[in-house]
Amino acid sequence: MARFRGWIQAGAVLFTNLHLPNFIKGGIYQGKGKNVCVPGLNCYSCPAASGACPIGAFQAVAGSSKFRFSYYISGFLILLGVLLGRLICGFLCPFGWFQELLHRIPTRKLSTKKLRPLTYLKYVILLAMVVLLPAIAVNDVGMGDPFFCKYLCPQGVLEGAIPLALVNSGIRAALGKLFTWKLCILLAVTALSILFYRPFCKWLCPLGAFYALFNKVSLLRMKVDANACISCGKCARACGMDVDVTKTPDHAECIRCGKCVLACPTGAVHFRYGFGDGSETKGTITAETNMEESN
Amino acid sequence: MKRKKFTASVLIALMVLTLAACGAKEESSAADTGQGGIEEAVTEYKELMDQENEILSENTGLWDKVFLAMDKDLAVQEESNNYGDLLLKTIENARDQFTDEELALLQEEAGKIRDLENQMAALEKEYPEVAEKSMEGSTSAAADEAMSTASGDESTQKFPSFEGKDLDGNEVKSDDLFSGNAVTVVNFWFTTCGPCVGELSELDALDKELAGKGGALIGINAFTLDGDETAISDAKDVLEKKNAGYQNVYFASDSEAGTFTMGIYAFPTTYVVDRSGNIVGDPIVGAVTEKSQAETLNKLVEQTLAADKN
Repeated sequence: MARFRGWIQAGAVLFTNLHLPNFIKGGIYQGKGKNVCVPGLNCYSCPAASGACPIGAFQAVAGSSKFRFSYYISGFLILLGVLLGRLICGFLCPFGWFQELLHRIPTRKLSTKKLRPLTYLKYVILLAMVVLLPAIAVNDVGMGDPFFCKYLCPQGVLEGAIPLALVNSGIRAALGKLFTWKLCILLAVTALSILFYRPFCKWLCPLGAFYALFNKVSLLRMKVDANACISCGKCARACGMDVDVTKTPDHAECIRCGKCVLACPTGAVHFRYGFGDGSETKGTITAETNMEESN
Repeated sequence: MKRKKFTASVLIALMVLTLAACGAKEESSAADTGQGGIEEAVTEYKELMDQENEILSENTGLWDKVFLAMDKDLAVQEESNNYGDLLLKTIENARDQFTDEELALLQEEAGKIRDLENQMAALEKEYPEVAEKSMEGSTSAAADEAMSTASGDESTQKFPSFEGKDLDGNEVKSDDLFSGNAVTVVNFWFTTCGPCVGELSELDALDKELAGKGGALIGINAFTLDGDETAISDAKDVLEKKNAGYQNVYFASDSEAGTFTMGIYAFPTTYVVDRSGNIVGDPIVGAVTEKSQAETLNKLVEQTLAADKN
């Protein structure tokens, strides 16, 4: 599975953005599909978007005057978190793919290992900008702003503001300071993505933060066969997210990209899917009843 | 992308030209039934109008400044109907905003406009219906042109007509609404849209200001289409909290205006409509609490009021 990751990512991006002619026509799709969230970070206002962004939708509900919290979207995200965890980051998220493609530009690459404390920033962003502020910082009629979308999200600029402004003079005229600010964020993320691997996912993404909470309980996990492992350390060196899969296979930063699976010379690292805490893997060799995706 | 936009605008320009050609033909055939003299007068009148528009479309940046500086009361009080005089007076009053060079240019151009207006007035004296006749054919073409030069959008130049109700249940017909007002500002919003709700008080102030000038402002709340009762009461709640007393209108979502409303994806969006129901300029996207949006709206309103006087 990990071998075809690039293709799966491309397919997922296409699937979450089906309405391609809208890029030329200059509108956005507003049909029934927008009642549902897509799994990755994909702006509702992307002309081609087939569904809503879960982070955007959550803030819209939390910020409305009638509700303070979105149970429907939380439930949807918990379900995805339990079923797949951060595999969504590694395989399905359009903005993750965007950063990965940028990282392929050949330059000197820098390690993010020393910047680990920054990874906790995304939880702060999730809590403050997505959950609390839209519900608490309200105006006189009880409505709050979608703080993450409004002040931080570079995906909204990349997928929403830029393509819409290119073909619609009204939108172009409406671009102001907020656009400039977020364009700067986008440019910064773009530049950093060339040097670092997935900086936005590591440090800023509230959606990644949410799924990260479920990595430890997700049905999809990493499994390292202790009997086959020769402790060569190739998996940890292959990992772009600074995780040593042999020590912490369920690490919150692991995006289940499967680079460690491909790097392992003895085939000791696997995806595993199903119930169980994974502890039995140390005893038995391959007697798992779980479905294994050993591609 | 750029190339596509370019070809699109070229295509639209071509379409507009063909439309304009059709319009002119119809005009002349219609005029054939009347006396021969009026036909010539109409063509001449149109030419004069075109020349005037051409003058105004050059140096738009400077003219925009003039329009912004225009004293609205002066526009009403001004006895002579000559638009050139009004412009000259406005330029004189705002002379400190321009450099000497700009001032000289503006005055010269406004003088030309005054002469053109005088010639037009002479024609009007001879043939009272000439102004109306030349408007029929040319306004739509002019509006089309304005659209295609400003953007590649496929916007209609007529605001879609509707027969609906306001939130208190009173009947509202677009034809009556538009023809009864020199300018109608139409604001599209929805109840849970923060920026839309944020501008309601300012829109109310604008409505009060327009009332004194023979204009009006109406709101169209996208949630209230088809007369959804909860949506209407929610909208009324918000309007009340924001002290917005102007009329809000709904109509059937499958009507022409309904489809138009459903096609809007950026809220708030504000349209300026003239007495004959034509959309003036490009729609204003974003709240008028922002300076640039407020300026554009102001400019379009003044432009429409001034055009209504001619």
